[in-house]
Amino acid sequence: MSRRVVAHPILGDLIEEEVIEFEFEGLKLKALKSDTIASALISNGIDIFGFSESGKPKGFFCAIGKCSSCLVVVDGVPNVRACITPVRDGMRVERQKGKGKPVW
Amino acid sequence: MKYKVCIIGGGIIGTAIAYFLGKLGENSVAIFEKRYLSSGATGRCGGGIRQQWSTKSNVRLAMRSVEFFKKFKEEVGMDIEYRQGGYLLLSYSEEEARQFEKNVEMQREEGLDVEILSPRMVSKRYPYINTDGLILATFCPTDGHANPHKATFGYANAAKKMGIDIYTHTEVNGIEVKNGKICGIHTSKGYFECDIVVNAAGAWSKEVGMMAGVQLPTESYRHQIFVTEPLEYFFPFMAISFSGNFYMRQALHGQFIMGQGDKDEKPGINENVTFRFEKEMARKMTKIFPFLENVRILRHWSGEYNMSPDAQPILGKSDKIDNFYYAIGFSGHGFMLAPAVGEAIAELIVFGKTIHSDISYLNTERFKKGIVQEKNVV
Repeated sequence: MSRRVVAHPILGDLIEEEVIEFEFEGLKLKALKSDTIASALISNGIDIFGFSESGKPKGFFCAIGKCSSCLVVVDGVPNVRACITPVRDGMRVERQKGKGKPVW
Repeated sequence: MKYKVCIIGGGIIGTAIAYFLGKLGENSVAIFEKRYLSSGATGRCGGGIRQQWSTKSNVRLAMRSVEFFKKFKEEVGMDIEYRQGGYLLLSYSEEEARQFEKNVEMQREEGLDVEILSPRMVSKRYPYINTDGLILATFCPTDGHANPHKATFGYANAAKKMGIDIYTHTEVNGIEVKNGKICGIHTSKGYFECDIVVNAAGAWSKEVGMMAGVQLPTESYRHQIFVTEPLEYFFPFMAISFSGNFYMRQALHGQFIMGQGDKDEKPGINENVTFRFEKEMARKMTKIFPFLENVRILRHWSGEYNMSPDAQPILGKSDKIDNFYYAIGFSGHGFMLAPAVGEAIAELIVFGKTIHSDISYLNTERFKKGIVQEKNVV
């Protein structure tokens, strides 16, 4: 978890937290319990969350659930906003390629 | 300034009439639109193009329109995203299902290819539709949908090329009548003399009628609609239910567009939206179309249905003022009828009678004989 800010002049020091495990594109990764999917991915060195229809990489952008740049597939459900969705233990996250596939 | 024909309203109807007038060689024509082209009901509608109607005459008019939509790109010169993905009509009431069977019989006699589907056939063919409570469905593969903005601009651009003038952001605020005949219109850009005025004002049809001193039996009612985030394009047809009170389609980009009617609406122009609509619609639609559960609402807007007493359009000439024509009261299905109506009104103006479609049954006279309601309306 090398990319975390452990000491911040305003936010203070990183608080000790429970570590959970989730899956990203088949990889087992570690996250803090209070992480969003996006913060968990970034702290693991992953910046590409998905691809546009034309194959261009997409990732973290607005950080407030508005821009649709960080859409990922979570447990088979497409169009999940990585930036505002808390990560869960055992969650299966995949990169979304193009538009979400309908599920029923 | 003088024009032979002044058309009030820059929606699909006004622009279609102008286009067909131009095609018939009449280009002393101007369209007056108080906002921008397709800013009223046209640009706010679901964009469906349906031939499955409950009256023979509506089926014919709709079939004629489909002929034009099919060759729109080649003839009018714009790709309007027209797709014949079909229309799936879902019935949730026994009485309506029996009516559907009768309708299909009549529609087939008119040469329309329509299938009757049992709930089991529906779930087999469309496994992504929850058929709970469904009694019967009908499917017409040649029905479809298109982009109403593009269609309006397609007609408008083609009309301009033929020398027809279009005045947007120009409000008509008076119609000059002398000795029972219209001689001109007053607008925010001045006075225009004319031989003929066409009322294609959609939601404002009644107000425009009043300007010429004619009482028209139309009322406008707000209808709301929203669009969701996109999913991969997989749903090519329009799903609609009168008893279930909804319609839904997927735009080519992948978004789902859907709406419903509201019996509690009061007549009048209202372009606001309500949270109640989002709540009711979202609850109902995610049940019938479970794949919608994971998409969010992107935008939500409303537009007016210009209702006539029998939910069928009012077309033709005024019986009080000889040079006053109407194409109004479309009751929520003006877009899909526009090509046939444009052709018919243009023929009526140029030749004094229609040639390709019979619209005589759609004049105001019919209301004197009693009202036969078109039932296939959301």
